[in-house]
Amino acid sequence: MTGALFAQSLVLGILLGGLYALLAAGLTLYFGVMRVVMIAHSAFLILAAYLAWYFHERSGLDPLLSLVITVPLFFVIGYGMQRFLVSRLRPISLTTMSVLLTFAVALTIEGLLGFVWTGTQRRVQLPYSGTSIEVAGVSVAVVKLIAFALAAVSLAALYLILRKTSFGRALRATTQHPEAARLIGIDTDRVAGLGFGLGLATAAIGGTALALDYTIYPSLHWHWIGPLMAIIVVGGLGSIPGAAIAALLLGVAASLLQVPLGTTWAQTVFYLALFVTLMIRPQGFFGGRLAQRF
Amino acid sequence: MPNASSGTPSGRPTTARVARFAGLLALVAVVLLFPSLAPDPFVLSVGVVILSYAVLATSWNLVGGFTGYISLGHAAYSGLGGYATALLVLRTGLDPWLALVAGGLIVAVIAVPVGVASLRVRGASFVIVSIALVLILQLTFQSWHTFTGGSGGLRVPRPFGPEVLRPEQHERFFYLHAVLLALALLTWWVIERSRLGAGLKAIREDEDKAQALGVPTFAYKLTALVVSAFFTALGGGLYALWFGYLDPIFQFSILVGTYMVLMALLGGVRSLFGPLLGAVVVGYAVEVFKSQYGDTQFHLVATGILLGLVVLFMPDGVIPALTSLVHRRRRAASIREVSAAELAEQRDGRQRDGRQRDGRQRDGRQRDGRQREETAR
Repeated sequence: MTGALFAQSLVLGILLGGLYALLAAGLTLYFGVMRVVMIAHSAFLILAAYLAWYFHERSGLDPLLSLVITVPLFFVIGYGMQRFLVSRLRPISLTTMSVLLTFAVALTIEGLLGFVWTGTQRRVQLPYSGTSIEVAGVSVAVVKLIAFALAAVSLAALYLILRKTSFGRALRATTQHPEAARLIGIDTDRVAGLGFGLGLATAAIGGTALALDYTIYPSLHWHWIGPLMAIIVVGGLGSIPGAAIAALLLGVAASLLQVPLGTTWAQTVFYLALFVTLMIRPQGFFGGRLAQRF
Repeated sequence: MPNASSGTPSGRPTTARVARFAGLLALVAVVLLFPSLAPDPFVLSVGVVILSYAVLATSWNLVGGFTGYISLGHAAYSGLGGYATALLVLRTGLDPWLALVAGGLIVAVIAVPVGVASLRVRGASFVIVSIALVLILQLTFQSWHTFTGGSGGLRVPRPFGPEVLRPEQHERFFYLHAVLLALALLTWWVIERSRLGAGLKAIREDEDKAQALGVPTFAYKLTALVVSAFFTALGGGLYALWFGYLDPIFQFSILVGTYMVLMALLGGVRSLFGPLLGAVVVGYAVEVFKSQYGDTQFHLVATGILLGLVVLFMPDGVIPALTSLVHRRRRAASIREVSAAELAEQRDGRQRDGRQRDGRQRDGRQRDGRQREETAR
């Protein structure tokens, strides 16, 4: 591998890792507040991508503008999903049953996408789709940069919400110890609902970013949920910084391996990392006490 | 207080036993007579598919029902079983029936490291690994052209000679699947009555307590997974020999794994014949759906909605829902198994009653927590 090719793959890996980081942060957030493995996360991601594409098809405006609609919409859907579906499950078998429930949601979304927009592959064509910027011998597509910027800004916003606001404190308290959080007067049900909404909002942003750069089709979400789940286990279930770090590392690793191995085999690095993590450190590399029990 | 263990010859246990025996006989009779009653080979082939689903769902239930660990990726084991059987026949020229058993054993061995990785921690990681396994196998079997035939698929030679015509093939495979199903059911029945089964059920209800009581939880869970993978692989292998063609997309399909879960859950994971009942209902529905509407996206929506409804409203399945109706009408007298969820419900209910009556907490288990909560207010 030449130096230029290496640098190119590295940059692409970081850009992809940023998107993974945002999405994995959402996925690990649900687990933190609710102990729910949200299989439908990536199905909502693809749904958002389809909405961005459809918005662009219909209005001719930039698909990024669809965020104005999809982010609040997904936030409300996420809140409703937690309050009206997930919270109905028995607490004793919540983790396993919620997997099945969100899995059912994922299947339904995939089927409806295929039903409404058929299985045809879709792609957003923009005036700047083909343009790329060249810096120090590394050429980067503008759409990838936009996607990364979007992910980075959202991740920073998520971090600030969790760290600096009182809602963020309540949410972290709910993650760490729901009972204790209830004792000091936090309405954990409401917080969990809002946390779910926040997680789903990351899927809306990620989906829009995805629509800029990828060809989309209904069953694409399976290619995303696998790596994302691997990332949150490697990072430690429930740990947002862990998810972000693992996402960047694995994104870069997959991108670098793509050169000698090809896309398909490079994808297996996520599963390999998942397997190795569970073998040597089942609670993940950055997970706290919470991850040890799941 | 009525108690079955006092041994009073009330006659009720005997009627129940007679009814159960008659039901079993009727089931066997239906299975034995089905091929001669089927009006045409197509119906017979649907029967084979449903039996195959029943084998897979019952095998799935060996781990899902006993331990409560939900595997969404059991298609990995059925797909591997199919490929292992086919590749052994094609590459080594092994007798197809020997290849089938050898394939099952190979898959059981493969299940060991998978189990070691995913069973040391609780349910969440297990589910994640199970899905990841299907996705990774689909990827590799699609791209590894030289070994698996890649996405073009793999033709499996038929175990019976050309003189055996298609309807005859269906009939033979129908009975073969029935035998395999009987073996899987028997295994479930034996495990349920064993120490292993008691330990597994303890894990399902409360893994911490089971561990505290000295149940070797990890070894038990691993055993259940390996046995389950073995039978699932046999099911996949037998199906491959019958169907004669393997395509990675359908072998390692998330949807097939979902069907297994849906069938077991719908019928009832705690009962021996639950998955079989679920397989008949769901398998029949799937086949009708396919022949009526073809391969549209709509079957995904239907599967998704049905799964969601079962999880939300009938998490214990049809059989328990019906038996609890019967029990409610005539107060269960014998000592029966109570799940941890039922206990929690009873406890909460009693607590609510207690608080309404005199505001005092009577239940010992949650008393401390409640009191602290009350003082905090």
